[in-house]
Amino acid sequence: MITALLLGLVAFVAQSEYALGTSLISRPIVTGLFTGIVMGDIKTGIIMGATLELAFIGVFSVGAAIPPNVVVGGVLGVAFAISSGAGPETALLLGLPIATLALIFENLYLALVLPIVLHKADRYAEDANVRGITTMHLLGGFGMSLMIGAIVGISYFVGSDAVTKVLDAIPGPVQTGLEVATGLIPALGFAMLVRLLVNKQVAPYFFLGFLIVAYLKVPVTGIALLGAIVAIIMVNVMQKPKLATNEGGVMDDDDEDF
Amino acid sequence: MMTTKTSDKNEKMVDQVEETPEISKKDLNQLFWRSFQMEFSWNYERQASLAYAYAMIPILKKLYKKKGDLSAALKRHLEFFNTTPHIVTMILGVSAAMEKSNAEDKNFDSSSINTVKASLMGPLAGIGDSFFWGTLRLIATGIGTSLSLKGNILGPILFLLVFNVPHIALRYILTKVGYNMGTGFLKKLQENGTMGNLTFGAAILGLMVIGGMSADMIVLNVPLTIGSGDSATAVQDILDGILPGLLPLAAFGVIYWLLGKEVKATTILVGMAVISILGAWAGIFG
Repeated sequence: MITALLLGLVAFVAQSEYALGTSLISRPIVTGLFTGIVMGDIKTGIIMGATLELAFIGVFSVGAAIPPNVVVGGVLGVAFAISSGAGPETALLLGLPIATLALIFENLYLALVLPIVLHKADRYAEDANVRGITTMHLLGGFGMSLMIGAIVGISYFVGSDAVTKVLDAIPGPVQTGLEVATGLIPALGFAMLVRLLVNKQVAPYFFLGFLIVAYLKVPVTGIALLGAIVAIIMVNVMQKPKLATNEGGVMDDDDEDF
Repeated sequence: MMTTKTSDKNEKMVDQVEETPEISKKDLNQLFWRSFQMEFSWNYERQASLAYAYAMIPILKKLYKKKGDLSAALKRHLEFFNTTPHIVTMILGVSAAMEKSNAEDKNFDSSSINTVKASLMGPLAGIGDSFFWGTLRLIATGIGTSLSLKGNILGPILFLLVFNVPHIALRYILTKVGYNMGTGFLKKLQENGTMGNLTFGAAILGLMVIGGMSADMIVLNVPLTIGSGDSATAVQDILDGILPGLLPLAAFGVIYWLLGKEVKATTILVGMAVISILGAWAGIFG
């Protein structure tokens, strides 16, 4: 019971990242740590969180699209996996569908509650009622966080035993297969990201990064630093002809800002 | 219609007009802090509008003493708005500068405030989404997960720091940049090509990191061997001899191609699970 409450609290705070600068505290790599603390197995929580993070790497909100809820998927996936004594692949197996299910609740809230809040705010604006608008804004946001927290707490309270039983019934080869899938799933996220960023001009840099790591085993931090240098070099190379023909001084100024 | 380009001009104008209150450093700081809630009351109809109005409230209250003016301003900022939340302060700053001009000058075209907002949010989201969601988050994830997968508590901590230190610094700086430079800034960036360069550089960096992470974190091994006894060679060694990470790269390629065919992500996910389980059953993967 207390565990369920604490997990609900973790989810509540994580979902509130939208009041905290969209600072990524909702991501599984972070919630995994806190779920691990609640469940009394910090190390496993961190590892499972990272596994889920890789699976969810393509899940983030660009523009108006609402992605599966990583908070519910992350916290419950890790919590159930730890409570049933299973491995990271179980966290994945549970986390992915749970996140998609939670999206239904999130959308219901967005479709039913927020329009009411928004139109009330419109009426307050009519009266120049500043406090009313502030209340509506906070109500809309905290309502969502509370709902997500409640979903996580109740699901854990109700589902913990049932989930353990189902997991025990899974045959061995399927378990191995799921472990294999755990290694593959990040590819989906990476592919989605590449689709977002790529054009003919920059496509080779993906392979450059891949080959450097595949052959030289450079850690990701190294790749990030190398990438930054390559980016600066390429921008400079591209700029040269432009500088020769027209205005140069302005550009130099702006470059140093970034 | 005047667009205030420098703060000097602002100050001169104040001298001429009856006492419109100054927008102080404190007001801009408040704008900065309130901007953290930009996606809190997000909704399908007008997205970040309510949060935008919420962020503008202290400044609007200061500028408009008449109820009618304040009401008009609040309604103005309840119009549709959406951009990358981490750098929204830049647009908030521009809006604050324009609201001030509007309060001072009766001939100011108040509809231009939203026109400028609307024209800024697109380009800013374009560069912001690819930088924050693509590049910076990826770097943070790469560094964070590589530690976390070993159970190291520094993983989540570094993940948050790598993302949020630049994020909050930019959020803070851009409040002032937006306010000082008013409307001319992004246009200037676009005209002299800096915008294109930034997007280009961010794409290079982002792709190299994804490429590196793909090699590091997509795992697919074949436990089969060819031949028997001492001459047995592991298939995996042969594959590694051709190119380390050949299978992960192939898997990436297939998924990338499927996404291009508009196959849904969930379908691909289920497909991957099925193939993995079948492969493990047959002993090809493991």
